[in-house]
Amino acid sequence: MSIVRVAKYLIVTAIVGIFSIVSFAQCPARPVSGTLVKDPYTIRSQDGTLQADLSLGKSVDEQGYTHYCYQYQAPKSVVEAPTLRLNPGDTLQLNLADVVQDKDASTMRMHHAAAGQVCGDGGTATVSSTNLHFHGMPIPPTCHQDDVIDTLIQPGAPAFNFNIKVPADTPPGLYWYHPHVHGFTEFQVNGGAAGALIVNGMEKVRPEVKGLKERVFIVRQQYLVPWIPGPYQLSLNYQVSLFPEGPAPFINMKPGERQFWRVANATLQDFMPLQILINGKPEKLELIALDGYPLAQPRRVETILIPPAGRAEFIVTGPPAGGFGQFSIGPYDTGPTGNPDLSALLAVITPVAGNLPDDSPSISSDGTSGATAPRLKWSDLGDVKVTAERKLFFSEEFGGTNGPIQFYITVNGQQQKVFEPDEKPVIKTKVGAIEDWTIENRALETHAFHIHQIHFKLMEVDGKRVPDTDMLDTVTIPYWSGTGPYHSVKLRMDFRDPAIAGTFLFHCHILLHEDLGMMHKIQVDP
Amino acid sequence: MLVFYISTVLTGNAPAQDYLVTNDDSFTNGVSFYAIGSGSALTFAMEVPGPGLGIGGGLFGMSRVVAVNSGKTQCIFAAEAFTNDVFWIEAGSGIAGGAATGSPSDDGSANGIGLAANPQYVYASFSTSNTIATFQVQSGCALAFVSDVAVGGLNGGVIDGMAVHGNMLIASYADGSVESFTVASGPPVSNGDKQNSTASRGGNTYPNGIDVTQDGHFAIFGDTSTSDVVEVSDISSGRLTSTVAYQTHSGISSSNVLLSPDQTILYISNTQGDVVTAAFFNKNTGVISRGCTSGRLKSYVQAWSYLGSMVLQQITGNGGGVFVAEFGAPSYIAALNLSVEGSKCTLKEAAGSPTLDSYSRGLLSIGRFPPRSY
Repeated sequence: MSIVRVAKYLIVTAIVGIFSIVSFAQCPARPVSGTLVKDPYTIRSQDGTLQADLSLGKSVDEQGYTHYCYQYQAPKSVVEAPTLRLNPGDTLQLNLADVVQDKDASTMRMHHAAAGQVCGDGGTATVSSTNLHFHGMPIPPTCHQDDVIDTLIQPGAPAFNFNIKVPADTPPGLYWYHPHVHGFTEFQVNGGAAGALIVNGMEKVRPEVKGLKERVFIVRQQYLVPWIPGPYQLSLNYQVSLFPEGPAPFINMKPGERQFWRVANATLQDFMPLQILINGKPEKLELIALDGYPLAQPRRVETILIPPAGRAEFIVTGPPAGGFGQFSIGPYDTGPTGNPDLSALLAVITPVAGNLPDDSPSISSDGTSGATAPRLKWSDLGDVKVTAERKLFFSEEFGGTNGPIQFYITVNGQQQKVFEPDEKPVIKTKVGAIEDWTIENRALETHAFHIHQIHFKLMEVDGKRVPDTDMLDTVTIPYWSGTGPYHSVKLRMDFRDPAIAGTFLFHCHILLHEDLGMMHKIQVDP
Repeated sequence: MLVFYISTVLTGNAPAQDYLVTNDDSFTNGVSFYAIGSGSALTFAMEVPGPGLGIGGGLFGMSRVVAVNSGKTQCIFAAEAFTNDVFWIEAGSGIAGGAATGSPSDDGSANGIGLAANPQYVYASFSTSNTIATFQVQSGCALAFVSDVAVGGLNGGVIDGMAVHGNMLIASYADGSVESFTVASGPPVSNGDKQNSTASRGGNTYPNGIDVTQDGHFAIFGDTSTSDVVEVSDISSGRLTSTVAYQTHSGISSSNVLLSPDQTILYISNTQGDVVTAAFFNKNTGVISRGCTSGRLKSYVQAWSYLGSMVLQQITGNGGGVFVAEFGAPSYIAALNLSVEGSKCTLKEAAGSPTLDSYSRGLLSIGRFPPRSY
């Protein structure tokens, strides 16, 4: 892809846009900073089906930030990026229309889908084209399900239908959905196009959460010009945290109340060391699940590092009466060539007695109580025979800001190259394979490895077995300092599920890196 | 008033005032002028809008703005990579006098247009078309396109850094190779010495920004790399010779280099190391030895992550330190003060640093006038 096209588009639409606000405000107004944080609007499946119509719109706000929004017509008003809530075995029927009005989009032609592989409207991808990735979901990489290689939805075209059967063995937990058009993912996610998808049943696997009030928090990040390093804003459920320049958002809890928090990192590139501080001291959180997969046992931790695209689900005990809490993230060193990830106060937690106006449902109300606890998918992965081992590595070449800045993920022994939509898969395997992938980071910047369709088991870090071999779909690999061995992880990949046969992607989930080609295809043959 | 002020500087009617100039490299592009004051203070004077458009970034080793004395006239030339032009400002005019384009195929929109100049000619390296265009400097700093020449690295790399000294023009390519040209007749003619730099043969490094000693004895290359590499080539024969590589173990990716007026100090902008180094330089032997390195610059955690080019605070002695471009949105200009005692030195960011370059969204290149004497 041409980096300069990205640059040109951004200069045209973002920089100029700052001074000439787009007149057609398609997106709903976002919450005022310093106010009560509310959960996203939730759509639940009924009688085994969740049917919803979403439309992707676009606006530019008074500060010049471009908003991309998933709009949904709720009974009282249009809401943004609703939480999709399903049971294992349910069907998701989602119609997505692209209603972005962007006169500059025609200047950003990218690529044509390969002949014979068109899904959706086909044609040329532009910054206003879209599609949808159901991040973490173990569903087929096929058209109308979770294909992002060939699916293209064009502005003004009829709504595209996603028709997805959630496998009955899908682990309960927090997943998320976001656009994934190569070259443009960053722009739309930067604008806020991301929402939560929850598979019910956590209380059956981790009874610790049963009866607790549930909160869903999505952390987003917005840059004025996402491809240029610079100041950014973090938001919690679309409420920008301006602290200390402005009042922090706030969350009300009953004094000492225990709640089940489900937090998604939907930022472009922010590695988030998350903490809950009670009266200034970090609370021991009860970690329940990571990346939508319940832990084998809950863990008590003070800090949870959530990489971009990662999720954490944990039990929080609110501050006592008269006390105060803080939902904060610490700074994170992404390396000499990484962007600064700063500390931030996402919200203050206020103990409030009595019934709260923002009461969220408790975890037992998801309609699946009483069912038998499922045997978790992939739970045997630590004990099965490995059929293949591979080594991959991240690397970067920086000669300038626009290029050649090449971001590579490479299978060891192959030529370093950036992703092209019409490339052939760099890895081929078969349904039934169990593979150990060692992934090194040879760059001076931390990366976040993600693979579609499956979770993997974290086996080793820097060559040493980890005490907690968690199932993840996104993992942090720290930067190389310039001397000594590269940091690495060993991941156990499970390709046994025939449902994931096909071609899909693995990449860095720093979205600029993904858009610039730090991504490749894997083909899993039936 | 400012126009008058700048003009009087050049006509000798007022106390000399030095200016730092930026190529703001924004979509609505321009050149910003800052008065260089005592104690490394920068005071914004004005922004002169350019007629074209910038791309907001590009290769680190390219100089997108240069200032030269053309007769009695002080000229500032700035590149605009989106519209592929070079515009000129006659200092004191307060406006862009015009813009020149090369041939229709000259294109720098991917990674920028680099500039190098002498009083007679401006050379523009177009990173996309891989061409060097020659423009003749005319009255009032106007540029007239002469011709262009196709260039390219030994390994397919695009034109990157460029410096002109006397009758030599030296270029680096983003693939590890370097080449020199003669410009005795204006347009560059290759000297047939294209070669891979010594350090680049080991991979993970390639020459980027270039400076040349006053007597034309040595060409110095700052390398883009995963460590800090600077290479020196003896060019006293009029051709490049095999480079000698140095590591000062002080930063990462030493993409831009700048010699002090007295040639005792080599300033190194570590574009990914977020620090600036002052290494000791022996102008007789070309040997570089370890000097001192600044701390991580103040703006790093706020708004940017790359360093761009440098200019000298003073055009005498060891320069007294440098100003360095801090790429980002917004962009800044940091000031670093140098002190030397014997074989030791200290390079520290000034108290009032950095200065916001409010018109820029992709600052990589800065210049100064009057420029260094060589």
